Amino acid sequence: MDKIVSRLAAVPAKSMMTGMDGEIREGGSPKTPLISIRNVSLSYGNFRALTDVSVDFYQGELVGLVGDNGAGKTTLIRIISGIIPPTSGEVYFDGEKITKFHPKKAIDLGLECIQQTIGLCDNLSVGRNYFLGREPIRRIFGLPFLDKKKIKEASAKVVHDFGLRDSVDVDDEIALLSGGEKQTFKIARAVTFRNRVIIMDEPTNHLSVRERAHVNELALQLKQQGLLVIYITHDIFQIHRIADRIVILENGRKVTDVPREAMSSEALEGIIRDGAGTPLKGRSAS
Amino acid sequence: MRKLLKRPDLGIIIGCLFVFALFSLWNPEQWFNWGTIRNIGEYTAILGLLAIGQTFVILIREIDLSVGSVYGMVGITFVGLENNNVSDVLAFVLAMLLALLIGLANAALVTRGKLSSMIVTLGGLFFYRGVIYVHGGVTGVPQAARQNWFAQLLGGHWLQIENGFGVLLILGSLCAVILHDTRFGNHLLALGGDPASAESQGVPVNKVRTIAFCLCSLFAGLSAIVTLTHDPETNVSLGTGMELEAIAAVVVGGTLLTGGRGTMLGTILGAFFFTAVRSEMVALGAPPSWYVSFVGIALLIVVTINTLLVKRLRNQWIR
Repeated sequence: MDKIVSRLAAVPAKSMMTGMDGEIREGGSPKTPLISIRNVSLSYGNFRALTDVSVDFYQGELVGLVGDNGAGKTTLIRIISGIIPPTSGEVYFDGEKITKFHPKKAIDLGLECIQQTIGLCDNLSVGRNYFLGREPIRRIFGLPFLDKKKIKEASAKVVHDFGLRDSVDVDDEIALLSGGEKQTFKIARAVTFRNRVIIMDEPTNHLSVRERAHVNELALQLKQQGLLVIYITHDIFQIHRIADRIVILENGRKVTDVPREAMSSEALEGIIRDGAGTPLKGRSAS
Repeated sequence: MRKLLKRPDLGIIIGCLFVFALFSLWNPEQWFNWGTIRNIGEYTAILGLLAIGQTFVILIREIDLSVGSVYGMVGITFVGLENNNVSDVLAFVLAMLLALLIGLANAALVTRGKLSSMIVTLGGLFFYRGVIYVHGGVTGVPQAARQNWFAQLLGGHWLQIENGFGVLLILGSLCAVILHDTRFGNHLLALGGDPASAESQGVPVNKVRTIAFCLCSLFAGLSAIVTLTHDPETNVSLGTGMELEAIAAVVVGGTLLTGGRGTMLGTILGAFFFTAVRSEMVALGAPPSWYVSFVGIALLIVVTINTLLVKRLRNQWIR
């Protein structure tokens, strides 16, 4: 763990690299939201997955996005990640309206989504997965070839720095890693490519207690690095311990958006359990 | 050793070595005969080129059942243009453009229309064959017209080796490099391994699918032109059933139908395997009609070797 924390401390976030400091408001968040979702709705045929959701996410905060199955958490994240466009409503990134939704565009903006089951191709090696979508190129007679040396060296360094087993060979297929190792690897990839936003979608499912603590510690470290961390989970007690703010979705609507200190984890659990049923009124954080 | 055992084409490498050793001992006079070598080279080139294109598509978890009909249609177009006094080079360019358009149409229906590639290309198989029947495919050009440099380049021979086989080796090597040493190849393998993960990492999945379908049709067209520059006779059944032979060569070569794993060497060896055995069956006096049954049996044997024997070896040596 110490190894990972020190590694994170050594990696400057993209926002810092690019000098996108932003004004800091009381409580540590800038005034301009890094991501602003405004009146977003999404329908699949007659089914409304999201209805008129508005929520702001600020740089340097850790936001817990909580809700029951089918609440719309993953749908909202799929919109933010550029996988699907909303049916209506607007999305702003760093004050700029997003007009074209594509995962590549989201990655170029510095947004990385770490999902439980998606993100790694089991048939590719550790090294190739590390650079997937960002493959380094070296030119031979002007022709672009994969820079295999760089792939091997950079991914071996990450495997070493993030405390994966010494026996992991970056030429081995990533399928050989355990669930916890794969999750750590995804986080390592997100961190070392200096992103501005890390979305963690149920990152601790199927992990051991120790691995779970490990991932939560990483999330906190990412926030301290100045990154926006959006953490999706079912576990309100777990997220209440680490998040700055908690947003609850229910049946595709936002029903709660409060700073951690404003409500206890039990009270928040009550909202999810009993089903608030109505859209947010008077429970807003700001 | 560990690297060798991890290869998806290990089964066909063993299969080809076995076949080579068997025929060398059993029927050496016929096996080491220049006529046999040229024939095997020519037909391996035709099937191999078709199968290389199919490999790109199977690697991304899709399939192209239309390649046999595309082979026929492009071939007949090529010869038809030549008969209308169009130069060989221009006829080649126009025929390949037709192949490219067919590839683009297949890709558009799969990526934009969200249709299954099996349905789209099955439709293509019937549609293009129907066009051949309507057009009437029986045509040819005199052998004398094949004495120009372009026809000789693809259909001639050099030092007893058919040029078509050289084209197969050059393009096969090029495609192997593209698959394993370029960004496009990495995207192709990622898309076959896990499309959702590939897309989440910014891989342009529709672009990769489109290029794969276009390459498949282009290789089918090239295979037809290599055939017809060698033997300039066509008929309405040109290419019939070749899509299944090509798929069999790809699968026997170790490429998984579930995508993401395969090699161009395996595909070429798969084409060689079927061609060599067909040639020897004919040489040993077996009725040619047995060949179709043989393809089925060989497919089962080689895939069984690949899954059982190679898996056991891998488990023993790896981890």
